[in-house]
Amino acid sequence: MDLHRSSIILLILSILSPVTISMRYELTSGHTKCISEEIHANALSVGKYSVVNHNEDHHPLPSSHKVTVRVSSPQGTAYHEADGVESGQFSFTAIDTGDYISCFTAVDHKPETTLTIDFDWRTGIHTKDWSTVAKKSQVETMEIEVKKLFDTVNSIHEEMFYLRDREEEMHNLNISTNSKMAWLSFVSLAVCLSVAGLQFWHLKTFFQKKKLI
Amino acid sequence: MERRQAKIHVFVLIGLILLNSINQISSLSVTVNDEECVQEYVLYEGDTVSGNFVVVDHDIFWGSDHPGLDFTVTSPAGNIVQTLKGTSGDKFEFKAPRSGMYKFCFHNPYSTPETVSFYIHVGHIPNEHDLAKDEHLDPVNVKIAELREALESVVAEQKYLKARDTRHRHTNESTRKRVIFYTVGEYMFLAAASGLQVLYIRKLFSKSVAYNRV
Repeated sequence: MDLHRSSIILLILSILSPVTISMRYELTSGHTKCISEEIHANALSVGKYSVVNHNEDHHPLPSSHKVTVRVSSPQGTAYHEADGVESGQFSFTAIDTGDYISCFTAVDHKPETTLTIDFDWRTGIHTKDWSTVAKKSQVETMEIEVKKLFDTVNSIHEEMFYLRDREEEMHNLNISTNSKMAWLSFVSLAVCLSVAGLQFWHLKTFFQKKKLI
Repeated sequence: MERRQAKIHVFVLIGLILLNSINQISSLSVTVNDEECVQEYVLYEGDTVSGNFVVVDHDIFWGSDHPGLDFTVTSPAGNIVQTLKGTSGDKFEFKAPRSGMYKFCFHNPYSTPETVSFYIHVGHIPNEHDLAKDEHLDPVNVKIAELREALESVVAEQKYLKARDTRHRHTNESTRKRVIFYTVGEYMFLAAASGLQVLYIRKLFSKSVAYNRV
């Protein structure tokens, strides 16, 4: 791996619910930044990335301003890979629930340059393209707004189910830990007594054999 | 670890039709070694910026709770709008005094890297001034915007609860592992100590040592 990659910041999106990430961050040459997002199974996920061109007169970016991108699933299989590109996009349907990681590595270059990457990653309901659904008239504007609210409410509802399931899992985990602790302390007592008993018995037979008792 | 800046741009939904719906969600968690900053652009003065953050900590064995991170919000003018010190997770909300690029910084006073999961939302509700400016705007739009903001606050709360739940899970799983590990270790230690005791006593009574020594 790259020797210069001494510092890697892992940006983890700990939210499972549909999320819009539209962000810019800076990357110095040779370094890697990863963003991971937890995606539900069968959720659609769309991402667009590009290196931001600070030049006002739209000169082409120098070759040092290129990134290597890799989007991988929780198992490690790569859903999208690109080497030395300035921009691109990807979309996939998640097969299983888990942390999907997209890593950006700035191409190594001396002297070290800092690139700004614009990354837009959407999952779930936010992949819906409202601009194609939008109409021009006034009433339908409101209809779209209300539709969006409806989608949001639905996603909140699903999220509540998910949270409830997780809470139940944790509840079960705690109960099992509790009972395991009780069981283990009994076993500990038994181990203590049996060890002491064995010691006693062994030393007794030992001394009897030695004819000291 | 050098400072990194993550700038987050507002994602403005399309065109004139939806000019009142600034829907900006940015939720990440970042590993903070020293200081991590996230920049967010606030379009309108008077917007309510709300959010929360939770420190999803790495394993702590001895402390009762995470020592926490320091959180500061700096306005584009440079003055500090809000600051929270030494918390392991909190919510915040403030009204932006002016528009521009606001900086949300996490500072880690300790040497261990911590992961912070945060969520920032900038909400805009059109007021009478906007209504007067644009004749396409209906008072209904104001109500819809208020509804949307209320829903966003529910979403924010959910994300906060979820992050806290993750942390609790983490703590619980670590507790469980440690309980089992320490208990089994205790058994083995007890058995070993007892075995060593027996061996020592046997050695004291062995033939190579005269009986009188004991």
